[in-house]
Amino acid sequence: MGIFDGIISGFGVALTPMNLLFGFLGALIGTAIGVLPGLGPAATIALLLPITYSIPSPVPAVILMAGIYYGAMYGGSTTSILLNLPGEAASVVTCIDGYKMAQKGRAGAALGIAAIGSFIAGTVAVVGLTLFAPPIAEFALGFGPPEKFALALLGLLMAVTLSGDSTTKGLIIMVLGLLFGTVGIDPISGKSRFDFGVIELQSGFDFVTLAVGVFGVGEIFYNLEQQGAAEIVTTKVGQVFPKMTDWIKARMAILRGTLVGFFIGIIPGGGAVIASLVSYAVEKKVSKHPEEFGQGAIEGVAGPESANNAASSASFIPLLTLGIPSNASIAMIFACLLIKGVTPGPFLIVEHADVFWGVIASMYIGNVMLIILNLPLVGIWVQLLRVPYSILAPVVILFTMIGSYSIANQAFDLYTLIAFGVLGYALRKLKFEAGPLPLAFILGPMIEGAMRQSLLMSGGSFAIFFTRPISMTIVALFALFVMGQIIVSVRRSSRCARVQKAA
Amino acid sequence: MKRKIVSSLVIALVVAFMVPTAFAQDKFPSKPINVIVPFAAGGSSDLLARAVERIWPKFSPQPVVIINKPGGGGVVGTEFVVRSKPDGYTLYLAYGSGHDVVMPHLQKMPYDTYKDLAAVSRLSVHSVAICTGAKSEFNSIKDMVAWAKKENKPITSSVSTKAGAVDITITALGKVAGINIVTIPFAGGADAVTTLAGGHVMIGGGHPSEIMPHIKAGRFKPLAVALPQRDPSLPDVPTLIEQGFNVHTWGSIKGVAAPAATPKEVVEYLDATFKKICEDAEFKKLMVDLAQPIMYQNSADFAKFLQQAYADYGKLIKDLNISIQ
Repeated sequence: MGIFDGIISGFGVALTPMNLLFGFLGALIGTAIGVLPGLGPAATIALLLPITYSIPSPVPAVILMAGIYYGAMYGGSTTSILLNLPGEAASVVTCIDGYKMAQKGRAGAALGIAAIGSFIAGTVAVVGLTLFAPPIAEFALGFGPPEKFALALLGLLMAVTLSGDSTTKGLIIMVLGLLFGTVGIDPISGKSRFDFGVIELQSGFDFVTLAVGVFGVGEIFYNLEQQGAAEIVTTKVGQVFPKMTDWIKARMAILRGTLVGFFIGIIPGGGAVIASLVSYAVEKKVSKHPEEFGQGAIEGVAGPESANNAASSASFIPLLTLGIPSNASIAMIFACLLIKGVTPGPFLIVEHADVFWGVIASMYIGNVMLIILNLPLVGIWVQLLRVPYSILAPVVILFTMIGSYSIANQAFDLYTLIAFGVLGYALRKLKFEAGPLPLAFILGPMIEGAMRQSLLMSGGSFAIFFTRPISMTIVALFALFVMGQIIVSVRRSSRCARVQKAA
Repeated sequence: MKRKIVSSLVIALVVAFMVPTAFAQDKFPSKPINVIVPFAAGGSSDLLARAVERIWPKFSPQPVVIINKPGGGGVVGTEFVVRSKPDGYTLYLAYGSGHDVVMPHLQKMPYDTYKDLAAVSRLSVHSVAICTGAKSEFNSIKDMVAWAKKENKPITSSVSTKAGAVDITITALGKVAGINIVTIPFAGGADAVTTLAGGHVMIGGGHPSEIMPHIKAGRFKPLAVALPQRDPSLPDVPTLIEQGFNVHTWGSIKGVAAPAATPKEVVEYLDATFKKICEDAEFKKLMVDLAQPIMYQNSADFAKFLQQAYADYGKLIKDLNISIQ
C-alpha cells in the first residue's frame, strides 16, 4: 500500500462516527488539561487507560490518547500568557513574552497567534509524518550519547539568550538550574546525590513542579504583595485577534518553530519541552530587535508554541515506525497499544494498517477540530482576566496543587511546589529573569549523562565527539556560535574605545 | 395494633438492611482494591498491573485501581504500601524488582523488604536477555568472547540502570568469560534499548518485553537469556549455562505483596484470585502480547523463592565486588 492509498484508507477509518467522536473527545480533554496548570497529558492518559479496555478496537483508543497529547499543546499556552503560569511543561517559555503581552493588553493577540501557530505546525508535522516517517526514524536512531551531548551543550549555550538584560544574572540562574538538576540518583554511578536522606528526592525534582512553582506560584506571591498592580493587569484585555503587523512578524517564527520542533521531536529523549525552549532561543538569536524579547515580542510566543506542537506530532514517528517511546506521554500511548495487542514498530504499517493510517489521518482532523475549538475560546479566556485576583489566585493555586500531586501521587511534590514558588518570588524581587532555569535544569543531567556514557563508549577518549559526523557537525556549530559572539563583543568594545577616544 | 405492626416491620426492615451492610464490611473485598505500582506508567510493571486490572473483575466483585507512585527506584511506592493499613485494600505489585532483591545488598533501606511485606503471589519473571544488533558479527556469546579475546578490546554494553539486574548479569558474564565488558548505564530500559537499536554499543541487555519489538523487526539478534532455564517468551534463545557460561540471574521478579500484618484469609483470597487470573485464557493471550511469561507461584512458594533470589543476588554482588558508593 502506497502512502496515498494509505492515507485515503486512514481517512476512511478516522472519519467513522465513533472515531470522530473519540478524536473530538481527545481534542477537548487535551485542551482542558493543557489549560489546567500542572495537569499534564501523561497523567491524564494513565487515568483514562482503563476506560479504553471496554473499547474492542485499538483505533479509537489511540485516537483519543493522541488527541489528548497534541491537544494539550494547544491549551498549554493559555495560562502561560494570561497568568505567567505554564499550563503544560512545553509552554514554560511562552510565559516570558506571552505574559508581557498580556500585561500590555495584548493577551488576545498572543492567544490567537499561539493557536494559529499550533495549527500550522501541527498540520505541517503530520504531513512530514505521512510522507517521511520511516527514513526520518532511521536518521533519529543515529543520535547516540555523543550526539545528544553535543546537542544539549548547544542548547545550554542558547539558554544564555533566555536571560534578560544582565548576562551575569542569567549565568547565575543557569548554574542554579544545573544544580537543581543534579539532585537525585546519578544514573551512571547509581549513587544518590543531595537527597539529605529524603527518599522522595532520590528521583530528583520534577520539571513541571519546578516550572509551575518558579513561574506561576512565584508570580502569584509577587502579585499578592502588589495588590494595586495586579488589579491594573487584570482589567486590561485588549483586542482579541492579532493585527496584520503581528502576522508579518510571527510568520517566519512559526515556520522556524515548526522545523525546530519537528527535528527535536523525532530524537529519542527530545520532545516538546526542549523543542519549545530551543525555538525561543533561536527566535531571539535571529531577531533584528532582540531587545524586544522579554518585553512582549510576538515571535517569542509564536515560535515556541509552534515548536511544541510540531514536536508532539513528530514524536509519533519513532513510536509508530520503531516502537520507541520518546517521552512519558508517548510511553503511555505505547502501553495502551500493547494492552490492545498491537505492537508498535516497523510491522505496524503492515500488520495494523488501520491503526497506523487511522491515527495519522485522525491527527489532520484533530488539528482542524482544535483550531475551531480554540480560536473562539480565546475570547472567553481573556475574560478570565476580569476575575478579581482575590478569587483567581486561590483557585489557580488549588489547580497547581492538584496538578503537582497527580505527577507521582505524593504529597511531597506539594512542598517542593511551594518551595519553588518562594524561589520564584525571590527571583522576581531581586529582578532575576527565571527563563534559563528550566532549560538548564533539563539540559544539565542530559549533558552530564550523555558525556559520561560517551566516554565509557570510547574508553575515555574525547575524540568520540569529533569523529562522528552528526556530533562533529553540532560541535562545529557550537564553535561557530561562540566565535561569532566573541567577534561581536570585541568589535563592540573596540567601537566603544574609539568613541571614548573621540570624546 | 396495626400501626404497631407496620412500624415494627419498618424497623425490622431498616435493621435488616443495616445489618448485612455492617457484616459486609467483614466480607473481603467490599470496596475497590488499590494496587500500587512503584514505577512510572507505561513501564513493564505498569503494563503487567494493567493486564491484571483488565481481567480482575472476572473473578472478584470489586475492581482494582492502579496507582503509580514512582520515585527512589521503586522505594517510595513500596514504603507507602509497607506503611499503609494492613487490610488487603492496598497492595504492592512488582514485588521482587531490583529494589527488593538487589538494592538491600547495596544500601540501607527504610523498611525490611521481607519482614514488612507478606508475599501474595508471583505473577511473572522478567529474565535478562542479551542482544546484539542484527548487523553484528556475533551470533552467539562464544563469538563475542572469542572476538574480545582476539582483538583484546572491551565489549560495550548498554544497561538499563547502574547495579540493576541487567548490569549485574552482564558484568557477571564478563567475569566468568574472562573478558572486559564495559556496561554503560542509562536512565531506564527504554533508553538503553534505543541506544543498542542505534548501533552505538556492541551488545545490550533487556527484559523480553523491552526487546521483543526489535527482535520481531529484525533489528536485534538475541544471544542468550540469563535464567537457569529457557524463557517461555523467547523459547529459541539458549541460556548462558547452555552456552557454557556458568552465570544465571533471576532478572526482575514481578509478584504481589501486602503489608505484613494483613489477615491470612485476605491474603488467601487475593492469592486465589491471582491464581484464577493467571489461568485465564484472555490474560494468557495478553501476557504473550506483552512478552511477559506467566510464572505463577502461591504465597508460600513465592516467599521462599524470593529468599533464594535475594541470596543469589547477594552472592553475585559480593563475588563481583559491585558497589554504588
